[in-house]
Amino acid sequence: MLAQKLNELDGQLNEREQLEERVTPIIEEQQDKLQQNFPVLFGPQITESKRRQIKESQEEVIKVLYPIIGRMIKKYVTSEIELLNERVDQQMDLATSARGWKLRFKSWRRGTPMKDLIKAEMLDPKIELIYIIERDSGMLIASYTVEDTIDKDMLAGMLTAIKAFVEDAFGKEKQELESIDYENYKVILKNFNSFFIAVVTSGGSTISFRNKLDDQLLNFASKVLSKVKHPEEESDQQMIASGLEDYFNDFEHVDG
Amino acid sequence: MSMAKKVILIGHFGVGKSSLVRQFVHQQLSEEYITTIGVKIDKKEIQVNGSTIKLLIWDIAGDDSQQKVPQSYRLGAHGALYVLDLSRPSTYENLNEELIALNELIPNIPISVLASKQDLVPNEQVEKILSELPVSAKPTSAKSGENVEEAFHQLAAQML
Repeated sequence: MLAQKLNELDGQLNEREQLEERVTPIIEEQQDKLQQNFPVLFGPQITESKRRQIKESQEEVIKVLYPIIGRMIKKYVTSEIELLNERVDQQMDLATSARGWKLRFKSWRRGTPMKDLIKAEMLDPKIELIYIIERDSGMLIASYTVEDTIDKDMLAGMLTAIKAFVEDAFGKEKQELESIDYENYKVILKNFNSFFIAVVTSGGSTISFRNKLDDQLLNFASKVLSKVKHPEEESDQQMIASGLEDYFNDFEHVDG
Repeated sequence: MSMAKKVILIGHFGVGKSSLVRQFVHQQLSEEYITTIGVKIDKKEIQVNGSTIKLLIWDIAGDDSQQKVPQSYRLGAHGALYVLDLSRPSTYENLNEELIALNELIPNIPISVLASKQDLVPNEQVEKILSELPVSAKPTSAKSGENVEEAFHQLAAQML
């Protein structure tokens, strides 16, 4: 009897088919369990190991990721260039304007294609206009513009209204609206006691440009705005206007 | 001599503030502004007593409109036109309280009260309503233009 049992056991252990029949369900069950619990059981170790591997072989990781990230960056840059070209084409449509003729002359004199000049202009950050606006009333006190476009008084009023609207809607504990982005333009708002300054810039705003602009605005505020006693009077308004000319006419050439 | 003055136009929703401005100024900005941020700004230069006055007119949405209007729109005003609608008593029932509140926010500025839509109400009724108001009001009609120019000119003269 015992010998018969031993023979059966021997058969089950040594006969592959029989052994498979008994062991496979057990292995499969354990496999399922392992699959389910794998993240809990080995997650921290794998993360740690990956972290170590990445740290130790950064260059290899970059090599692997570069094609993916590179493709993403390329796609972004391509779409931005397309947008830029579109804007340049829009600007080219303005060829009959005074600015258009100015650019055409510059292009002829330098031998540079007009399209390239427009691109350079668009990428170069520059000041389009500066408004000094009375804080409460929204009245324009003085302005500095490269080119007159929209009605200054109404624009100053609308900027004040938009600023008040945003600050009222979202402002907590006296937070103030500091900038508004619009396509190629940025409106930078600097708040002082009884005035705020709105600076409209175009082109790609860089950190160094912003820093230089901030410094110049603070200089202007401390040297000129601080002297204003009666903003409604013509003499004070003229003083601010000439201060704006002094501080911002050659702004592009101020060392930053 | 020339100067710039801020004038605010206030009053309940639908009393005809924008129509009065439309009558007075050749409009430059779209009406859409008033539905988006609750104010529309227009400008007109007028001559008063030999001086040129540039009026910056802030047409402010009524507090009872669906718009939440910041109180700060009213700040810094040099004069105000309060508009009520003669055909709707609810627009002048609390006139006194509303004028007191305005005076507290921006004290010492001239305020003119305009009773609009005169053309929609019979003359006898207009007189009766005006006589019962706590302050004197000028009947106006944006449709016929009656008293519109005069209202702005009188306010401008008071702001000088």
